[in-house]
Parts: sequence; C-alpha cells; structure tokens
Amino acid sequence: MSDITASGVQPAESVSVRSRFPVHVAVFLAPALAIYTLFSIYPLIDTIRLSFYTGDESGARHFAGLANFYTLLTDPAWSGHFWNALRNNLVFFAVHMVVQNAIGLGLAMLLSLPRLTGGSVYRTLLFLPTMLSVVIIGFIWQLMLNPLWGIAEKILSAVGLGSFFGPWLGQETTALITISLISVWQFVGIPMMLIYAALLNIPDDLLDAAIVDGAGPFSVFWFVRLPLILPTLGVVSILTFVANFNAFDLIYAIKGALAGPNFSTDILGTFFYRTFFGYQLQVGSPTMGATVATAMLIIILLGVLIYLFGVQRRLQRHTF
Amino acid sequence: MADVSLHGIAKSYGVTEILRDIDLTIDDGEFVVFVGPSGCGKSTLLRTIAGLENASAGELRIGGKRVNEMPPAERKIAMVFQSYALYPHMSVYKNMAFGLKFAKTNKADVDRRVRRAAEILKLSALLDRKPRELSGGQRQRVAIGRAIVREPSVFLFDEPLSNLDAALRVNTRLEIAKLHRELGATMIYVTHDQVEAMTLASKIVVMNQGRIEQVGAPLELYHNPRNLFVAGFIGSPRMNLIKGQVRSVSGGSVTLAFTGAETSVDVVPGTLRAGDEVTIGVRPEHMADAGANTIALEGRIDAVERLGEASYVYMKLASGDDVIVRSPGDVEAAPGGRYTAHLPGRALHVFNAAGQSVQFGK
Repeated sequence: MSDITASGVQPAESVSVRSRFPVHVAVFLAPALAIYTLFSIYPLIDTIRLSFYTGDESGARHFAGLANFYTLLTDPAWSGHFWNALRNNLVFFAVHMVVQNAIGLGLAMLLSLPRLTGGSVYRTLLFLPTMLSVVIIGFIWQLMLNPLWGIAEKILSAVGLGSFFGPWLGQETTALITISLISVWQFVGIPMMLIYAALLNIPDDLLDAAIVDGAGPFSVFWFVRLPLILPTLGVVSILTFVANFNAFDLIYAIKGALAGPNFSTDILGTFFYRTFFGYQLQVGSPTMGATVATAMLIIILLGVLIYLFGVQRRLQRHTF
Repeated sequence: MADVSLHGIAKSYGVTEILRDIDLTIDDGEFVVFVGPSGCGKSTLLRTIAGLENASAGELRIGGKRVNEMPPAERKIAMVFQSYALYPHMSVYKNMAFGLKFAKTNKADVDRRVRRAAEILKLSALLDRKPRELSGGQRQRVAIGRAIVREPSVFLFDEPLSNLDAALRVNTRLEIAKLHRELGATMIYVTHDQVEAMTLASKIVVMNQGRIEQVGAPLELYHNPRNLFVAGFIGSPRMNLIKGQVRSVSGGSVTLAFTGAETSVDVVPGTLRAGDEVTIGVRPEHMADAGANTIALEGRIDAVERLGEASYVYMKLASGDDVIVRSPGDVEAAPGGRYTAHLPGRALHVFNAAGQSVQFGK
C-alpha cells in the first residue's frame, strides 16, 4: 500500500523530467547524424556551393553565380554532351523500367506459384548476379560478347541464329541497349524479391475468393494481385530511377569514361566523371564537375518529387 | 436450388490422408453444418465441394450433375470465407459486383442485384466505402452479400463467425438463419463451434480425422450419439463419462456396475456380455435433480462456475471419476465442500470398449 502512495506522488516529478530537453534522444541520434553530416550532407552542400564558382588558370576561384549552368546548357562544347548524356540516361532508365521490372514481376509471379518445387534454389540463383561486383559483370559480358572469340556467337550459331549476331557492344546503334540489358540481367533480382514479398503478403483466401467469383488466372492477376502490389511497383520504380540516374560503374567497366563508341553509351555519371576528373585530352574542372553533379541532383530530385506528389499519393497501401 | 451428393470422396496430399471415403447426401434447401475439432478435414471437404481442392477419389454431384472437373465458378456455388476475403482496393459495391463481371451479367441487372442484396443486409448506405472503413460485422455482411448477388444454388460458409466478437456472433448467427429461410438455398456451413452447429443446422455432420462420425438432426445427435466422439463433442459442457462394467445381461437389459452403484439399462440385444468394460455417459444437465429412479453419487467439489441461470459444479467422485453437474444458478456449493450428483436411470448413454454406442438404432 505504501508503495502505491509513493508512486502516486512521483508523476509531478516525472513531468518536470519529461519537459526537460531529452538528452538521451540527442545522444542516440548523434553518431548517425555526425557520420551523415560529415560524409553526406556537408559534401552535398559544398558541391552545390562549388557549382556557383569558376576557377582560372592560377587555380583561384571566383563566385560566378549561375554562369556554369548557363555554360552547361548553352555552350556548344558542353550542352551537346550534356543533352546526349541525359537522353542516353533516359533510354537506360526506360529499358530498366520496361524489361527489368517486367521480368522481375514475371519471375516473382512464377516463384509464388504454390506448386513450384525448388523455389528457393531459383530465388538464390536469380539473385546471385546482384551480389556480384559490377566490374566482374562488365568484364564477363565483354568477354562473352566479344565478336572475335566470345561465346555468344558460338551459342547463337549452335541454335541456328548465328546470322543475328553482331558486335553489339561496338556499334553506336546497339551499345547502349546492350549495356542496359546487361545491367537488367544483373539487377533483376531486386524487383523480383520486392514484388515476390508483396505477392506473398496477399492472403490466399483473397485469391480463392476471386477464383470462386469466376476470375481466371489472368483476371486474378489483373484485378486482384496487380492492384494490391501497385505500391510495391511504385517503390521499385523510384528505386530504379534513382539507381539509373546515379549509374556509372557498369559503363566505366565496359567502355571506360569515354563511353564509346562516339559517346553513344554516355550517361550522366560518366559525363560527370570526365568533367570533374578529366580524361585523356580533357582537363578536369572541379567547378564544372560540381555543376554537372548539381544538375544530376536536380534531375533526380525532380523525378522523386513527381513520384511522391504525383504517384504515391494515389497509391493506397492495403492491410489485410 | 440444388442438392449436393458426395460418393466416396477422398483427399490426400502425398501420403497424408485428409479425407477418407466421405458419403453424404445434402437435400435441396437444407442447412448442413460440418462440425469437428480443428484438423478434422471439414474445411478441406468444403473447399473440395467449392472446387478449390480436387478430390483424389470419389464423385461429387451438385444438382444431379457431376462437377468434379468443373471450375468453382461453374458449380453455381458461392463461398463466404472466415477472413471475409474482401478485395481491399474495391468499394463495397465493386466487391459485390466482381463475380458478376465474369458471369457477363448486364449492367442494369448487376446494379439491381447488388442493391437488393445491400438492402437485405442493410448495407445500402455503405456501398461506396472501402472494406477498411467498415467494422468487422459490416465486412462479414459484405462477404455474405457478395455470395448472395451471384444467386448460387449452394452457399458455402467457412467458419464465417469466428472473427466476430461474442455479441455480434449471436446476431449474425440469427441473420444467417433468417437468410436461409428467405432464400431457401442449400447452405453448407463449417464451424468448430457446436453452439453454431446446434442452432443453425437442419442436419449436422460430425467429422473426426477425415471421416464422418455421424450425420443427423441436432437433437438426434444430442440424444443418440453413435459413439464416444460424438457424445463428447456435442453438448456443452461435455458429457460426463464414467467407467463401469457389465454385471449381468438378460436379453435387451444389462445391469451395469460403476463407482459402487448399480443400474439397469436397455441396450441393443447381443452387444454386451457380462464382464465387459463400458463407458457410461450422462449429460451435466441430467445430474442435478434427485428423483424416484436416481442414484446419488457423492463427491468433493473442485470448482464452481456460476453463469447466473445455472452453476456448473465440477466434482470428483469417490471412485476418482470427474463429473460436471449443471445445477441451479443459486445452488449452495463451494470448492472443497461435498456435493451430491444424481444419476438418472434414464438418459444414460452406454458405450462399449471400442467407444461405440450399444443403444444406437434401438
């Protein structure tokens, strides 16, 4: 009884404790905040700051306002490369959206078949390329597609399709699509896993109810499963978008920073690399590099904002 | 409207037998309840009738037509699921109209049917809502409405009330019974709740371990259980079972000895011999009152549950048998005290050593 009265007195004290600054919250947040600030927030802000400066031959920097952006978008020496990189990047993204996410959805549907045996083996195998280094992927595919001694031509010839083979990585018309498809091959596991998880989340009863209602397999997919995984497809899309517009490594691994042939595989990442660090005859410019990086940031930000306000608001997460 | 008949239906997954040799005839307009402990196969049997599972053997007929090979939608059935299984992204209206889309019903007809069902189920004001904006009871009604609009010959209910709270369960139970009277359709209902089974069914099918133990009207099962399983399953609290022995037999009458007392019971002649072990079953509600032919059994009280209109006295007899007595609500009894149960001469159930009733069919 005395315990109860004692604890009855305490609230007055604990209220004053609660209204004080929550030190423990700050303590727990501090490490993450410090690391993010040092390695993410500060470089980001400094990059944006740097994009407003221009350097001269002596290395001194002067504030130049939006002059760099003006140069990037209008100067023939810059704008051609910038628009080319942006256009290529959009193609790169479109191939991922159409091919990678469609195949990911298809594989997820197959994996969720109740009678599938060895599902976990397939799952692991399909996810395996995602875990490999991009450099290795790029190297392997370069070897396989090599028109002189690559295995791709032999395999196609063996099934009678040899006449369709071409030096896909070396032609201006096919190089970008080929590299996009290599990237799709590597990363198809990610949409597959996300969509698979979303499909598993749909209760069996719901599908049974649709079957009893007379829906065939296609109708069950189109009217029941697809609407219920739309939120996940939205997340997959935005992840693909951000990853694609930050991509650099695969093209650098296969084609180098010049993104040949004749810049036909040049995307914003490789364009930024050449601008900032320089490559072969091109002299690197930190300030122009910062300008390209800021432009990329703006493009990604715009895409994410369009998604957040235009798409995600209409997607309803469903609880079952 | 249709009758349903099952001949030798079996279902197994690999070597695991879920259903064995199910024979059952359900008449047109009947309300049949499958009842049994969890895992007894009652839901599988319902899903087999629905066409969501394929029978491994046997023949299933609905309305006289063999439907084994038909997809669910062509069997003229509608099913209500335990989880309601409403499409969360569709409004109540669309949920109910979904099945009609595939039946190629014209728009005006769809609208008429949905609105009529909504009226029957008092859902008219909720047609534009999404399932998540509804209470559990309302969702349940939408699920039933989705079944009604399809105008099926057979309604299948898979434990439809188990996700509702107690008060709502009683209400919905009455509504389902009313619905059955109004629609006159054949209904098959799965539950593990024997109160639901007793109150709703025109015929109860008691299942255990993939087999049908007994089929009959509710009171028939209550009064004449065919075996120990049915006797123990039907009735709440469960029937008291006391070990005994056959003392002597004379034609259709045997004298049984148990817990120090003796009584004579009529059985099917030839089913018992002197010396046989038997189990005597007597329902708690028949043990409270002393009468001309009752045998007093004294014991110690373990617990008393007071429900208001009745009190359940849990007691241990001198012989060690545990019995429950349904006594008047205000009976004077307390744990640790003495209490006297009164075993009636009639209303005794006798089961042989194999658990089969020796009175069944008498």
